[in-house]
Amino acid sequence: MGQTITEKILSRVMKRPVKAGEIVYPEPDLMTVHDWYVVNFDKALQEQGVTQLFDPKRVLISTDHEPVATNPASAERQKNVREIVRKYGITQFFDVGRGGLGHIFPMEMGLITPGMFVLAYDTHVTNYGAVGCLGIPMVFEIPEVLACGSCWIQVPETVRVNLTGRLNKGITIRDVSQRMIVDIGEDNLDYSVVEYGGPALTDIDFGGRMTLCNNPLEMGAKSALIETDQHMVEWLKPRVKDKITPQVSDPDATFKSIYDYDLGCLEPQVAAPPRPDNVVGVSKVAGVAVNHAFIGSCANGSIEDLRDAASILRGRKIHPSVRLFITPATQEIAIRAGNEGLITAFMESGAVMTAPGCGPCAGGRISPVAPGEVSINTGTRNDPGRLGTTKADVYLASPLTVAASAVAGEIVDPRKYL
Amino acid sequence: MDWVYTGRCWKFGDNLAVDADLTKKEFAMQRETRPEVLREFCMCGVDPDFPKKVGPHDIIVAGRRFAQGNPHIQGLLGIAALNLGLVVESIPRGSYRNAINAGLPFMTHCDGVTKECETGDQLRVDFSTGIFENLTRGTQKTYQPLSREHLGIIAQGGWKPMFAKRIATMRADGRIAAT
Repeated sequence: MGQTITEKILSRVMKRPVKAGEIVYPEPDLMTVHDWYVVNFDKALQEQGVTQLFDPKRVLISTDHEPVATNPASAERQKNVREIVRKYGITQFFDVGRGGLGHIFPMEMGLITPGMFVLAYDTHVTNYGAVGCLGIPMVFEIPEVLACGSCWIQVPETVRVNLTGRLNKGITIRDVSQRMIVDIGEDNLDYSVVEYGGPALTDIDFGGRMTLCNNPLEMGAKSALIETDQHMVEWLKPRVKDKITPQVSDPDATFKSIYDYDLGCLEPQVAAPPRPDNVVGVSKVAGVAVNHAFIGSCANGSIEDLRDAASILRGRKIHPSVRLFITPATQEIAIRAGNEGLITAFMESGAVMTAPGCGPCAGGRISPVAPGEVSINTGTRNDPGRLGTTKADVYLASPLTVAASAVAGEIVDPRKYL
Repeated sequence: MDWVYTGRCWKFGDNLAVDADLTKKEFAMQRETRPEVLREFCMCGVDPDFPKKVGPHDIIVAGRRFAQGNPHIQGLLGIAALNLGLVVESIPRGSYRNAINAGLPFMTHCDGVTKECETGDQLRVDFSTGIFENLTRGTQKTYQPLSREHLGIIAQGGWKPMFAKRIATMRADGRIAAT
């Protein structure tokens, strides 16, 4: 019986063949935790008298949710995080200014490779699927993973998505991706891994691949990954020292369902409040006045996303009633954005750059919204309270739509600005 | 553990948000886990008086995607702290894990269960067999209960006691350092 990529990866880790539905305790190749949970996992370990981690060499900590401490409590937490990292002998610690968003920079640094298995304290570790790694969120139980080396998971089924067709002008992968998760639906995505392949994959850049692996989480998927193709190998080659082992499912693997999905979406898509699956064509929400806009996050903080934003903002001014925050996801992306002149274009338009990391999307600790305000942004979720107050409306859209809306002062179709 | 809960029905609709309807989002941001704090805000987004109205072994019945949103555990800890049961048409898997972690007896994929009862009905639910009885209406349905593995974690009180037990076992085996 053939196996899916997910079954192959978990079989390698378990050192025996596994199949969807089994409950297993696989030891990950890497465990990642972000800055907001380090103090908490330390407390949980102390309560159990645990003084050593199962394997501190396999632990990666990133300071991305609140990279720049803005109050005394944050500064104290950051100090505690540094002390905890030292106490447990964690060597892969990427503090502020050293990496950026932990779901992205480890791929840039060649730390994530096809076929790896990662458990993480954060849902969007699934971004690692952009390089064929199986990243699975393990939220409340991460202290067990750190102390014991594993935690139970049920081997997920796989939904196979063959991407076909081409993007139309002014439509991005974010538009297609947030439309697609609604079309495939929660019943299919629930606890499944979305595996992407198909002829259109070759046209999708690294940023788009991360977006494809990021969005399905919002509809209940367990993870998402992309089968290894030449494009992925070429992206990885200058970054990875070891041999790259391509990951593809067997031809006779069992899938929960198989979809052919056409990229030829006709209209930019916007997720209206209050959930990421409340997706409509931009024409349905055009004209809604906005106060706050943000381009960044693990869904759309890539260099390709920033180039899209610059294509609208260059030579234009942000509307007087809008503040626009732009967060390059990583140090590397920020450097490239600088070298390509994107940051100049953003600053001249009246936008503000924030430190590499999650930006406002991490619960609105950075540049939140006020009650009664409206935000349009490229973040991951739009639940009430995502950007601070529960009394604000949050719309999710592509970098093109967000940039154009920031210029117009209201939600607009970006194609008029291209 | 007593898997049979007999109590009043509290019915809710679809898409209740884990951070806005089930509890205050700030508790998730603060990583609050104390049951005595969280139970006072259980379901505060839809009914701030809910904790005062319910009694032990009452049962929340809800529609699809109960506890949707970022998989924070706080809302589910609040329900468990009030000693309630939960029967839903669906629950996203992050919250599914967290319901188990919270030690909360629940059943999911109970298609059409919201049509089987109204708030105030007297219910009897056996979470180990999946038998759902509406004593007010005199009707009965059988749903798929959780797996033995997951019921086993709930029976032990959820993730925290399970973790403590695993640590003790590994320490006894010499696989992790002594305190």
